[in-house]
Amino acid sequence: MSAVSNSDQFKQSFREEAREILVDLESALLELNENPVDLELVGRIFRGLHTIKGSGAMFGFEDLAAFTHNLENAFDEVRNGRLQVNSELIDLTLSALDQIRAMLEDGAGVAPADPAACAEILSKVRQLAGISPEKPTREKAVPHPPVPVLGVGPLRDWHIHFAPGADMMRNGANPFLLLQELRQLGSLSVRASMAAVPPLGEQDPERCYVAWEMVLTTASDADAIRDVFIFVEDGCELTIEPSPMCAAEVTARALEDQRSQPTGRRSYDKPDNVSSLRVPAAKLDQFVDLVGELVTVQARLSEIAARRDDPEFAEVSEEIERLTSALRENSMNIRMLPIRATFEKFRRLVHDLARDLGKDVELTMEGADTELDKTVIDQLGDPLMHLIRNSIDHGIEPADVRASQGKPAVATIHLSARHSGASVLIAVSDDGAGIDAQAVRNRAIEKGVVAADAELTEAEIFALIFQPGFSTAKQVTDVSGRGVGMDVVRQRVDSLRGTIDVVSKPGLGTSVTLRLPLTLAIIDGLLVSIGDACFVLPLANTLECIELTRADIERANGKHVANVRDELIPYIRLREHFNIRTERPAIEQIMVVETEEGRFGFVVDQVLGNCQTVIKNLGRFYRHVQAVSGATILGNGTVALILDPQRLAQDALRSVTHGPRGHPASPCAKTSSRTSSVLDRTPTPVN
Amino acid sequence: MPLTLESSDSLSKISLEGEIDIGCAAELQGLLVHALGSSKEVQVSLGSATDLDVTAVQLIWAARRAASASAVEFAVTGPVSEPLASTLLQAGFEDFAAIEIESLATGT
Repeated sequence: MSAVSNSDQFKQSFREEAREILVDLESALLELNENPVDLELVGRIFRGLHTIKGSGAMFGFEDLAAFTHNLENAFDEVRNGRLQVNSELIDLTLSALDQIRAMLEDGAGVAPADPAACAEILSKVRQLAGISPEKPTREKAVPHPPVPVLGVGPLRDWHIHFAPGADMMRNGANPFLLLQELRQLGSLSVRASMAAVPPLGEQDPERCYVAWEMVLTTASDADAIRDVFIFVEDGCELTIEPSPMCAAEVTARALEDQRSQPTGRRSYDKPDNVSSLRVPAAKLDQFVDLVGELVTVQARLSEIAARRDDPEFAEVSEEIERLTSALRENSMNIRMLPIRATFEKFRRLVHDLARDLGKDVELTMEGADTELDKTVIDQLGDPLMHLIRNSIDHGIEPADVRASQGKPAVATIHLSARHSGASVLIAVSDDGAGIDAQAVRNRAIEKGVVAADAELTEAEIFALIFQPGFSTAKQVTDVSGRGVGMDVVRQRVDSLRGTIDVVSKPGLGTSVTLRLPLTLAIIDGLLVSIGDACFVLPLANTLECIELTRADIERANGKHVANVRDELIPYIRLREHFNIRTERPAIEQIMVVETEEGRFGFVVDQVLGNCQTVIKNLGRFYRHVQAVSGATILGNGTVALILDPQRLAQDALRSVTHGPRGHPASPCAKTSSRTSSVLDRTPTPVN
Repeated sequence: MPLTLESSDSLSKISLEGEIDIGCAAELQGLLVHALGSSKEVQVSLGSATDLDVTAVQLIWAARRAASASAVEFAVTGPVSEPLASTLLQAGFEDFAAIEIESLATGT
């Protein structure tokens, strides 16, 4: 039955929205913990709880609604100044949010995950708020007198027009309950308009044709009012405006509508306004996959068009190329999400860990609006969690140690995100003790990971902490110390074709930076050739292309340095780097590329042109290959490797510093880890 | 059965019982259309109804309008429960509810 599946879909939509509200509630609670008198935050928390309660009841999550109702009451007491915010209330509410989350994930959402824990939380909350026990409230359409709720601002009138969407009733929502919700915000004058109700025989009996004109007198703002409609807003007509008319005028207008004849009715067949749409991630992935296929086929079409001397065909091919490019860009943009939600989740983790370990830690953020591909974001949670746990457990010193070193009593974990070319840099920094490089080295020797006489740079020593089972912790705690977390970080970052940079200074702190590709799907690239092999360089990193002649090489006395407008740019001969044994052309091309290590040139035989590049994974056998971030299929069906300029530059720097080591850097050479440290870089400043 | 119809040439009486919601809407529409087309007087009894949702309200409202246009007597009978009356009033059906409840109060 479609009605049943619609209802399930609506419940699912409620779950998704509620999860987002829970994340926001956690953030607000933790901010409130730091600033207990912030009434804006109290209002935000109250509204979040109120929305979960009201909408939960509407979609059949009655136990969830009843449970949340008690929390809402407690925050009503806070809002009205009868209850002071303290850490006990914050911790209880955080625990309650965990239970709400469990109820949400429960099949039908009708049973608490842990009834005993719920009862205990409610008992403590009531005790704290001085509220007498009450029977669980079942939110039903039981009318009750208006209960004006005081907000934080002055009272004002809002004119609200609400016309439900075509499917609202079929989706299981009930407009009467929404009006009941509105009444909880203040004094409500409401009038139903029957103007759009069609004649009896023409009605779709499962559709709501009634619209409502309301005047709400409340101290709440427009956002709080809109929150009441949050789960039904899509597809509905909803306007919320400061009321220019008095209630009597609105009533008169609605009465006039109600008396009007069918000829004057609202056009109930016009398309409903839809401002945003929730789409399952799987559908989006499928869409992007199809765009990827289209890009590959388009490349083939362009290839054929280039071979034929047919202007008409070429014109069509160019037009398709233009459209494909626009489609690709749009589909990629749809997948780009700000990392804020992921960052915000860690407020709770930091709060709980700091409390459990008896440390005082503040979480600061920077660049939370940085956008990256949803697939990348989805896989970032675990690595960041392990890095933060590690920082708090091992990095941040106990309070007495910090005091003795003259450090601020409150330690800082700083999360930051920023774009860098086709990559995004996500950093977790702390102002703790830093990594003891000698201890890491000793432990590595002890475990037989490195030879006792091995010469290791600081960067290589830090890279050891990401080895499986590696830990210098003297004590294994509940939080970390088993040597698993950092290995998880490395594996996950490897799977995302990313790299890890570690900077640490004893006594000052540690900064771990994850460099990840912005997207895992399609990029703009420059197709280049060396001998018979084709490679793709990401366009985002590429600055310009200059010629390299034999004379230029002689002028530089054989050094791999090009003079570009009086700037000396070191270059890497990819022919030699990849051990390609074909004859060198008289004139080669240097692709000048911007990297984190500065500008570098990459010498190739020819630049073949722009290409939209659908990134294909090289497969698990090649996942440790450095300098290559994937492969793509060209229009003529051949495979081109996608180069990673950052890794190439780092390899070159390493070989300059230490001389060439081990095997030649063939694309097929397997290395033990992609992890590296930044050379000559000071620690990322921590706040 | 939440909906029952007793019909004769002169009177059709539709009785609503319990919660009347979207699940009964199509049936209620059919009964109202049938009643209006077959009798000179139509009564809708809300005496046993505990709750009406908006789909039921708009069907009864449209039926009353259709009856008025075709000279069929139309009445809603009760007594309607206090919570139901309150629900209708609070949902803004003051004009609609007032007529129905008034008619009930006078025992028609």
